[in-house]
Amino acid sequence: MIDTSKILILDGAMGTELQAAGLPVGGIPEVWNIEHPEAVTAIHRRYIEAGSQVVYTNTFGANRLKMAKAGYPLQALIVAAIGNARAAVVEAGRPDVKVAFDIGPIGRLIEPLGDMSFDEAYDIFAEEIRAAKGADMIVIETMSDLSEAKAAVLAAKENCDLPVFLTMSFESNSRTFTGTAIASMALTFSDMGIDGIGMNCSLGPEELLPMVKELYTCTKLPLVVKPNAGLPDPATNKYNVFPEDFVQIIRKMLPYGVCAVGGCCGTSPEYIRELTRVVREWEAERDAYEADKAAGAAEMAPEADGASAEDGGFYPDDYEELTTLRNTRPTGIASASKTVWFSEPRCIGERINPTGKKRFKEALQNGDMDYILGQAISQVEAGAEILDVNVGLPGIDETAMMVRVIRELQAVVDVPLQIDSNKPEVLEAALRIYCGKPLVNSVNGEEKSLSSILPLVKKYGAAVVGLTLDEAGIGATAEERFAVAEKIVSRAEAIGIRRENLQIDCLTLTASAEQAGVAETLKAVAMVHDRLHLGAVLGVSNVSFGLPNRDVINTAFLTMALQNGLTLPIMNPNSEAMMGALRAYRVLMNIDKNSLAYMDAYRDWKPAQTVVVAAGTAGVPGGTGQAGGAAGTPAQGGAHIGAPAGDTVAADIATRLGDGAASLYTAVVRGLAAQGTELTKSLLGTMDSMDIVNGVLIPALDTVGAGFESGRLFLPQLILSASVVQGAFSEIKNHMRANGAENVSKGTIVLATVKGDIHDIGKNIVKVLLENYGFTVVDLGRDVEIEAVVDAARETGTPLVGLSALMTTTLPSMRDTIVALREAGLSCKVVVGGAVLTPEYATEIGADYYGRDAKATVDIAKEVFGC
Amino acid sequence: MVEMKPIRMDEAARYLGYGDTKPDETILALMKECEAPLLEACHPAYSVGIFDMECCSEDEVRLAECALTLTGKDIVKHLVGCTKVALMAATLGPGVDMLLRRLQLTSMPKALLTDAMAGAAIEQICDDIQSELQGKMPLYRQTWRFSPGYGDLPLALQDELLSAVEANKRIGLATTDSHMLTPLKSVTAIIGLQDMTKELRKVATEDGDAISAPVGACAAGACAGCAYHESCLSRQDKTTDETDVLQ
Repeated sequence: MIDTSKILILDGAMGTELQAAGLPVGGIPEVWNIEHPEAVTAIHRRYIEAGSQVVYTNTFGANRLKMAKAGYPLQALIVAAIGNARAAVVEAGRPDVKVAFDIGPIGRLIEPLGDMSFDEAYDIFAEEIRAAKGADMIVIETMSDLSEAKAAVLAAKENCDLPVFLTMSFESNSRTFTGTAIASMALTFSDMGIDGIGMNCSLGPEELLPMVKELYTCTKLPLVVKPNAGLPDPATNKYNVFPEDFVQIIRKMLPYGVCAVGGCCGTSPEYIRELTRVVREWEAERDAYEADKAAGAAEMAPEADGASAEDGGFYPDDYEELTTLRNTRPTGIASASKTVWFSEPRCIGERINPTGKKRFKEALQNGDMDYILGQAISQVEAGAEILDVNVGLPGIDETAMMVRVIRELQAVVDVPLQIDSNKPEVLEAALRIYCGKPLVNSVNGEEKSLSSILPLVKKYGAAVVGLTLDEAGIGATAEERFAVAEKIVSRAEAIGIRRENLQIDCLTLTASAEQAGVAETLKAVAMVHDRLHLGAVLGVSNVSFGLPNRDVINTAFLTMALQNGLTLPIMNPNSEAMMGALRAYRVLMNIDKNSLAYMDAYRDWKPAQTVVVAAGTAGVPGGTGQAGGAAGTPAQGGAHIGAPAGDTVAADIATRLGDGAASLYTAVVRGLAAQGTELTKSLLGTMDSMDIVNGVLIPALDTVGAGFESGRLFLPQLILSASVVQGAFSEIKNHMRANGAENVSKGTIVLATVKGDIHDIGKNIVKVLLENYGFTVVDLGRDVEIEAVVDAARETGTPLVGLSALMTTTLPSMRDTIVALREAGLSCKVVVGGAVLTPEYATEIGADYYGRDAKATVDIAKEVFGC
Repeated sequence: MVEMKPIRMDEAARYLGYGDTKPDETILALMKECEAPLLEACHPAYSVGIFDMECCSEDEVRLAECALTLTGKDIVKHLVGCTKVALMAATLGPGVDMLLRRLQLTSMPKALLTDAMAGAAIEQICDDIQSELQGKMPLYRQTWRFSPGYGDLPLALQDELLSAVEANKRIGLATTDSHMLTPLKSVTAIIGLQDMTKELRKVATEDGDAISAPVGACAAGACAGCAYHESCLSRQDKTTDETDVLQ
């Protein structure tokens, strides 16, 4: 443990000092540990002599990737670095000085920002830490990516017993380059067992001061601060804050929980000397002030308030307010960029869950990520602040699916997630890779659950939902459930989980089956709120199973539960009535100050229009302007669109299939998405699904495709039309599913952006167009391993594999993939495409076809499948 | 610092394959709709380092006090006549990557347009950085931006270029295993700086219209490709050659 009763003086910059000693810009500083040990030791020694009580080893970039070209084994560079620091400690005759093993970012970004996996990052850090024999502590610094910081912290906690400091680098917008917010960092690491948290590099002390204050209110951990000496001049590379100014601003930070302070880029022993002096001076003044205050309080004990009147003397004006916030704020959960404090009711979106959802089950079985992610985006757009993620389904690998879904969700939505599973192995895998601090759903009062899940919550610093049931089942009365809640709380606290990290689910019963039980649930919520002072969770929608017009029941129950103390309703955010009730509650309880959030949510709100739907609208042949009726909001332009002048295809469709079909054709050609969907809905009442596809949609795509090929139309127009068809297809599929019909596919095609290439928009465009033409696409994504392509081709038995690459440097990877497909003895054809490809090169690397663009690729697919 | 400006739609349209054709009203309206979310997602940042050219051979340029060595005939040609080199790394930040991924799930047309607009945005940022540099170094003429992967300059130099301007630490830019930049909407470039005072001084001291190539140019050993080839006093090869003139 680190003694934080006195502020620790850290060291200053290593990099700029090494450059001053002759290291070229962009050179590998760690090489100097072996080639110029005396220079490195001298720098450490100067810092120690200036007052540093902790020196950071010269190992910022000492990972196997950055050291690949160093010319020395990683282990040797690390051992030498620790040796140099130790030598300085000995030379200076200061055995009390600690040697901190310094870990900087790997230099690659973790998925989804980059191509490195979380496990690879962990492995790289673990290798460094295992090599760091003889260090007194670990300092992880200058982190920008929350995932990478988490990999480093886990590697430290799992591979050594040393104290750990973590500092990240924030920009002037109070976020790191990758978007990590201060509160997100604080919540993620506050319960992961580190010894200090804070910020270093990127900015000077002036800019960091407000961020230190913010961090102080978000964590109870000691703070660590190492600012730069201001900002560098790009032309001269000189920093602009001098030692005297540097330390005066640092002094202003000290009241806010700072336990260790030093300097980063541009600072030197001179800064540290001045810093040491000012820190000790401040401590002496503080101690004198506190002693005076204590004495004063003792003397004036009968007049209780007497002492605080003079508090303005030492601490800054905002100190008391910030300290109160720090001590009273309930905890919360976080993604890298968004924090949700449990200080007010928050909507947890319930839709990522296969229970009772046929379409979702299908998506899980087929690995249809787009559907799952689409569900997430629509919930967030509707106002969900947290998303529940449940992917449990018999027959699928829940652990692998959970990890995949969380990773992909975190690439497209920024709200924190609730990891929903009762299997410890699923939870652990998810907790490991989750970027931020999640809410675990759930632990319950059963011994098996308590003993397997609570330790995971503790280790990964998560929050957890406690279900008020145990071996005896769900208690009938509120008191029984409350007793289980108390048990869960005490067991959690016993292993060191802070009680505020618990949220209690009092379990919603179904009104249609156990009507009397609903009131017991509400009573239990109130007891949890009033007596345990904990937040309460409820799966709100469960209350209305089996009843008609469920929204009415759900909304009423939600409002009643909120009034009883519910903080985390798990609900459908796409239900306007329920979201409305939640927003209204926040207004009425004076939570949503000045109704700002409410007004923002209803900015574009207009009273619902009364729509007169003529009987049989859906069945009326198109062209009468009633296409939009069923949705309740008339589709703009639902009226007859008319065929483009001179388009003989449109005229032909109108003659053979009616005006409605011709209108749909035109909507596709003109790229009118809303009309396309509404017209399709309408046509499905009178036309066979496949007739719509083959008689209207495909001819329309052909028309647009021909325009594109002739140069009359451009790619955005082609894609706009493709997206209209996408919407139409989705309606047709829903219709077929509702009627129990099998989806008709023209065949399966495997698509991948090859290994090494992370630019995949081109491949995704091809996918949309292929799907438009009725092909089933197995999309392997980007940066795809060669074996994964071979496996998918074998498993699907596809006659056609499409490979995409954007950069010249990844073309060899494309060639290798083709070779592997051939060597595997697969008879599939291969079509390749991408900006830098040429027909000649396609032939050279053994591809069967060169897909010039998305349209050409569809033509090739038609040829291969003979359709 | 650079700030985001409205996106140059004509430039974005060019990336979309429109050439000189103006997109129709529907597409233009959709582009306009994409602009605000894109600007909101952009957090541009850059890092620039300026180095003296130390040594130049036919296929290698070395920079003073910098570990990066630029290799290949094309970069030598690019830097002919220059005495200094600016290394630049710029990014729109990871927010744009997230926006593009989200749009590909909700609206492929918007994704396509936003992708092209983001391309225009990062180029605009680079232009702004060059303007700022021009303001700070008014006596230097800048070349266009040459990037690793162009011609015979290896893409693998990307990693060392990032180190030379501390791009990972200063602006969060990283490379992948295959030397691609992440976040995706990022640019690295090598800009040559030609000292115009030396050029002017030379003109003033010579009579008539003769000028000489700035210091360093001849050392590049690329006399035929030099911008001053035609009029240079110290030209090694006295025959006239019209080809390969840079500017």
